[in-house]
Amino acid sequence: MSTTIIETGGLTRNYGDICALKPLDLKVPEGEWLSVMGHSGSGKSTLLNLLGGLDRPSNGSLRVGGEDMQGLTEDGLARFRREFVGIIFQQHHLIPYLTAVENVMMAQYFHSVPDEAEARLALERVGLGHRLKNRPSELSGGEQQRVCIARAIINSPKLLLGDEPTGNLDHKSTLMVMELLKELRAEERFTIVMVTHNPEVAAWGDRTIYLDDGILVREERTRS
Amino acid sequence: MTKRRWLVYLVARALAHRKGRTVLLLAVLAMASSLATALGIVSISMGKRVAEEVRKYGANLVIIPDSARLDVGSGGLNFGAVTEPAYLNQQEVEGALARSGLKPGRSFHLRGSLHWKDADILVEGVNFDEIRQLFPWWQIKGGWPAAGEAVVGSDMAARLGLKGGETLELAGPGQSVRVRVSGIVSSGGEEDGLFFLSLPELQKVLGLEGKLTTVRLLVTAEGESLKKRAAALQPLLPKAKVSEVRQIARTSEGLLAKVKLLMVLVTAVVLISAGSSVTGTMSTTVLERGKEIGLMKAMGGGRWEVLLIFSAEAIMLGLFGGGAGYLLGSAVAQFITRAVFATSADFIPWFACVSLGVSLFLALLGSVGPLISVFRLDPVRSLRGE
Amino acid sequence: MVLAKLAPHLLSWAGIVLAMGRGFSGRRSVVAAGAIVGFPLGVAGACLLSRAYPGDFSFAIIRDIVGGSFLLLWGGAVAAIYSSTVREFPRSWGERLANSPFCAGAVALSSGMIAGAISACRLVGTYNTLPPFLLLALAASILALAALAVERALAASFPVSHSGLMASVVALLLFSASSIIRLDLFSPLTMKLMKFSHDFVHQFFESMLIPDHLFIRTYLWGYIGLLFGNGVGFWGALILWFTPAVLVALAIQWERLPSVAHIRQGAQRRRLLATGIRARRFRLVIPVLAMVVLAAAVYRSRFPSVEYWDPKPLPISASPSGDIFIPKKGDVDLEDGKLHKYLFKQGGREARFFVLMTPAGKLTVDLDACAICKPDGYGQAEGTVICYYCKTLIPLETVGQPGGCNPIPLPFTEKEDGVHIDGLTLLNMWGTNAQSTARVKGGGK
Repeated sequence: MSTTIIETGGLTRNYGDICALKPLDLKVPEGEWLSVMGHSGSGKSTLLNLLGGLDRPSNGSLRVGGEDMQGLTEDGLARFRREFVGIIFQQHHLIPYLTAVENVMMAQYFHSVPDEAEARLALERVGLGHRLKNRPSELSGGEQQRVCIARAIINSPKLLLGDEPTGNLDHKSTLMVMELLKELRAEERFTIVMVTHNPEVAAWGDRTIYLDDGILVREERTRS
Repeated sequence: MTKRRWLVYLVARALAHRKGRTVLLLAVLAMASSLATALGIVSISMGKRVAEEVRKYGANLVIIPDSARLDVGSGGLNFGAVTEPAYLNQQEVEGALARSGLKPGRSFHLRGSLHWKDADILVEGVNFDEIRQLFPWWQIKGGWPAAGEAVVGSDMAARLGLKGGETLELAGPGQSVRVRVSGIVSSGGEEDGLFFLSLPELQKVLGLEGKLTTVRLLVTAEGESLKKRAAALQPLLPKAKVSEVRQIARTSEGLLAKVKLLMVLVTAVVLISAGSSVTGTMSTTVLERGKEIGLMKAMGGGRWEVLLIFSAEAIMLGLFGGGAGYLLGSAVAQFITRAVFATSADFIPWFACVSLGVSLFLALLGSVGPLISVFRLDPVRSLRGE
Repeated sequence: MVLAKLAPHLLSWAGIVLAMGRGFSGRRSVVAAGAIVGFPLGVAGACLLSRAYPGDFSFAIIRDIVGGSFLLLWGGAVAAIYSSTVREFPRSWGERLANSPFCAGAVALSSGMIAGAISACRLVGTYNTLPPFLLLALAASILALAALAVERALAASFPVSHSGLMASVVALLLFSASSIIRLDLFSPLTMKLMKFSHDFVHQFFESMLIPDHLFIRTYLWGYIGLLFGNGVGFWGALILWFTPAVLVALAIQWERLPSVAHIRQGAQRRRLLATGIRARRFRLVIPVLAMVVLAAAVYRSRFPSVEYWDPKPLPISASPSGDIFIPKKGDVDLEDGKLHKYLFKQGGREARFFVLMTPAGKLTVDLDACAICKPDGYGQAEGTVICYYCKTLIPLETVGQPGGCNPIPLPFTEKEDGVHIDGLTLLNMWGTNAQSTARVKGGGK
């Protein structure tokens, strides 16, 4: 019924002699929440970078949202990133000299034009209406991650990528962030691909795949 | 908010975030551009002034009596100088000029003082035809004098309250003369403080027929050849001294050239060191902000857009540095001209463009390397912290 | 050689075709046909015109037509600014007209004709045979086709609005005209403005019965004096010259962005807005380029590449009886069609005059001054003499006739071997006509 948003065929990524991702075949239908698990160095971040258009595959085909990533130029990749994906990082990566709302506006700036009212609304939506004018250093880890989420979804991406988004958070904040993601997904209907090594976090997804040493070793569907 | 305004805001915030480094860069740029500005202003305004000075002496050789300056007294006992008035003999000079084979423009001058009302006034006798040729910049309000007429320098006219058309009676040692003031002369030189009569009349009144105090010559020659001409003329006039007028100007020209050379050297050193310090500072900034750049690219910023943000930073620094450099440079130029040449420098507004240009050029040139690395930076690796 | 001379005209012609191809993007074939027919028509028209009315008249007609297109641009610019700022502008009929194939064809045809006529004027004086004109028409046609081909290859995101098209075409025509001094519009504009301000100030202030008016003190006269300066004409003309292009640019800048209020999703709304701003910026390129072209036209008009023949006045003296004799074939050949200037001095008085053979083959002797201007003298350029002070061009045909800024004719007698002029008459005429501010010796630039 639903269309496929991510489709890989024999996707490979080598860094010199090291093979970070062995030929991988993966299909993600639109709207799915996919968790990717594995040890560090298992190639899950590499996969995420490839999906987000931050990196290019060494071999194999990769289609995201109908776009052939191999065929895109450097500027085409940048356009793809701003129009199609939102990325949440483990280390938040907020710009230190901008306030929360300005950090969100930065994403608007690269996408089209900055719009402060809309950025404010987005922050209110993630429950940060009271901390609009605070710098990242004045925010807690959970709050910073919520700014990141607001920034990732501000341009209405089709695909939300999470690179261990809860890796630096305590249990309570993790729960809050996951809850928030679930709510937002229900409203915006984006696809989520989330890398994690926390089985509890992975369990929020519809499906979990396990990578080991660059190979897809197991795949399981979450009940419910 | 438009994109452009956001860009300016963003750059301003980024610069404000790293205050120390921004101030350092601004100081470097301001210093470099201010030196370039000061150099330019000093050389332009002093060059103009020296040229003016040279031009004021239309004549380039001057003949004065050799005994004009007699030092009286000896050793520690100095009773003063110039006591004995000495004169040139008009016929001798004319003869010497004819024999020298030079056909210079010339003017004969006789200076003396005459009595008018209760005061002695300094009067110079000249031939007005010669004056018109040799001193074309004399500006006469009124008309050139005919026979029985005179002109008066503007300063003297103001001091004595003389106007064109007035008639006055000047008394000499033997006899007196009635003249009508036909005009007021201003030349911006010592002429402004003198009263001009025609030469024969003054000679008659003073009882000094055929005597002169100064002869000014305009010889078409320059530099070394002028010196030769003067040397060739000297033996024909044993009782007089022939000297070059340009000597006066030459000293200031030489000084100017030396100051210029010094400033060029200093500016070159400063520009080079400023450029390299801009490069150094910008490189560390870019290295430090690697993650930020990677993030911008990961968010969807194209390479050119991110490059634009960082070049805008360099441009903003350049603009502010240049503005400060212009103000500072004008002040330095004032200081130099005051201290070295004892005059004030011109205020040259368009030099703001020069200082802005120098500063922008330095800021951008110094940032070329760092900007290239911004352009090339790989978002994945920089976000991982490599 | 011929083509090198025509380079600026052909270049601006290519630009015109390019802009028209873009402006009427749906009707390339109509534009191509109109352009290729129009240009040779214009060339032929200019040739016939100059054949029928030799001299300045044909140039004046073509210059007036170019001036008319400039006025049209003014109208278009005002309409554009009006329609972009006032909502209720009846644009539908105008739009429909502008989009019709008839309009595209007419614009292409008429601008082709004007461009062709201007280019032909470049050749009219120097060439009398057919081949150069044929070469011109051929080159123009090839260029037109090439320009249309280039236009097709240009990115689609680079549209030309109707007002922008108008601005660019007129600017290029003016540029093309500016390199021929007899067609140049900027200097006449400057001159007209200067004279207008002279007249205005005269009428206005004399009617107020000054100099001792209560409110007008000496320093005020200083400001009024500004109105008489040469600068007024120049700056005023600059303003008139650039305003239409600036208005067109402003009209585009003030255009409303697409309405986005109804779009719920922020990202989509913003993207639409950004696309609108981008498109608007692209449309601005053409008017800004038009301004650059207009600036180039001003530059060419102020510093024409034509060299003025500016002879040094030869000193001349009269016989004891006061008669000045200039031989026809002496050191100079009086009948070579060039300006020959002389300087006559007697008893502290001086006068400058010139001898010239008009195209009609008659010798004329005139003062190097007119009754109006400061006697800065005259220089000669192709087909005209120019008053250095007010930059008026006087066709060679009318030199020798009195009036206006024409050089003041001198009575003289022509003999077999040369011309005789009465020295005293000359000095008296110079004294009465040339103003007291005369810098006799100067003469020329």
